[in-house]
Amino acid sequence: MVRVMVVDDHPMWRDGVARDLAEAGYEVVAAVGEGRQAVRVAAAVLPEVVVLDLRLPDLPGPEVAARLAQVDPAPRVLVLSASAEQDDVLEAVKAGACGYLVKSASREEFLDAVRRTADGDAVFTPGLAGLVLGEYRRLAVQLEPTEGPRLTERETEVLRLVAKGLSYKQIAERLVLSHRTVQNHVQNTLGKLHLHNRVELVRYAIERGLDAD
Amino acid sequence: MAIEGPFWRAIAVFRVASLVYAAVLMAQHRGYEQPLLGWLVIGVMALWTAAATFAYAAEPLRRWPLLTADLTVTTACLLTTPYVQGAQQVTIGAMPVPATWIAAPVLAWAVHHGRRAGTIAACVVAAGELWSRSRVDEASVLINETVLLLMAGWLVGHMVRLAKRAEERMQRAAEMEATQRERERLARDIHDSVLQVLALVQRRGRELGGEAAELGRLAGEQEAALRELVSAGPPPPLGTIDLRSLLARYGSPAVTVSTPATPLLLPAEAAASVSAAVGAALDNVRAHCGHQARAWVLAEFLDGAVTVTVRDEGPGIPEGRLEQAAADGRMGVARSIRGRMAELGGRVSIVSVPGQGTEVEITLSA
Repeated sequence: MVRVMVVDDHPMWRDGVARDLAEAGYEVVAAVGEGRQAVRVAAAVLPEVVVLDLRLPDLPGPEVAARLAQVDPAPRVLVLSASAEQDDVLEAVKAGACGYLVKSASREEFLDAVRRTADGDAVFTPGLAGLVLGEYRRLAVQLEPTEGPRLTERETEVLRLVAKGLSYKQIAERLVLSHRTVQNHVQNTLGKLHLHNRVELVRYAIERGLDAD
Repeated sequence: MAIEGPFWRAIAVFRVASLVYAAVLMAQHRGYEQPLLGWLVIGVMALWTAAATFAYAAEPLRRWPLLTADLTVTTACLLTTPYVQGAQQVTIGAMPVPATWIAAPVLAWAVHHGRRAGTIAACVVAAGELWSRSRVDEASVLINETVLLLMAGWLVGHMVRLAKRAEERMQRAAEMEATQRERERLARDIHDSVLQVLALVQRRGRELGGEAAELGRLAGEQEAALRELVSAGPPPPLGTIDLRSLLARYGSPAVTVSTPATPLLLPAEAAASVSAAVGAALDNVRAHCGHQARAWVLAEFLDGAVTVTVRDEGPGIPEGRLEQAAADGRMGVARSIRGRMAELGGRVSIVSVPGQGTEVEITLSA
């Protein structure tokens, strides 16, 4: 059974989500309402998947995602949040979250997203694809060509189609690719962003002289 | 208004200082030709100085009766000059009996009612002064004091008006800031409670089906609208609009709007046109594919151009349909979308892939 932890400060939501997960055959190992508590509990109960709301009372959501990524072994984080918190969603995804779903998504969509997250797939809604696409373009303008992560033409193409609401199956048909290849392209776009984020963190640490001790 | 306070205090100080000056002049000249009358005038001036200081300090008393009385008393004191000074008026030169005290009502009028009132009061006082000089044949009629009086009335009135306006603006800014803070607090509260519940109702309603599903759908619409309402960020630079904020309004359970996390700034007019074109495209989707038809809006920024794509999952548009419609005079999509964009120098391409719906792509150089 896949071990899932739910982090949401709203008790009704937390219980509803936990119940849905339990009914669908997941083992809900913890349901907490605060960021620090979430990181502590995650280190103790080692969930495989964390369903994370970005609006928490004590810590910013992206910060929680970053701290969860440092738990060993790191859980896969699925952000379940409001459509209006785009900056936070992007930050959380850069910090290591593997997917993003709006809270208004249906139960089927939600359970499907948890299943895919547990399988190690990125959960790309059109909204997230738009954010990631925008982030790559922002980096392309801001950084030297050798410095930042770049998307290949194919990856850009795939990401744009995801952002326009096409399913992986439709994309595979249109670009004459296999379903798995489309999935890999999407996964890569996120992987490069995570890598870039880690490189940035290390660079930041070196600049601040934190590597000395 | 609060800004007037310091002006009234300054006038009171000026009045007292001028009174002392007038008394010193009187003493120096040993009361001129009519010491009794002279000191009587100084006494009246002292009484009025005290009365005016207290009266002007009270906001409800600062009205035309007080201002008129001030001007009358002052002019009356001024008009005694020829009688008090007599022949000495010629030898001692410029200063009338109340000396600089005569400027006080001019300043009061200017502070109370602006530069025009200040100028009128200055004219009245100046006329009195000119009259008192013209009483003595040998006295030279000097107009520099008149000029100074007029200038004081006009300038102080002007300054006070500017100060009042600045204060009003500052007050408005402070009010706006308070409103903004209140709004942020509301947004946090609403987010933590109302929105969560609405989202929950939407989700549960859909699962229960039937009437509950309809309730859920309504809750979902309200959630989206409320979220948009409370999520307003900092205002963009003047004359530009963040296209994202316009497009976000189209978001609904049926319509997904995807944008970058960074602002898409366009000149206000261009942004409005792009947004209207997107609205027309979405209307078109609803007209052809039904009210619940799903649609996706993607806004992106690439190579200095903003591209917005609207995609639906309808059956697609048969080859030549748009041209046919235009030729028939049914210009719906063609006119409202292509027309709007052509005016702005933008491009529109409409691509229809069988089985994968229709994409309307709008590109506009930023």
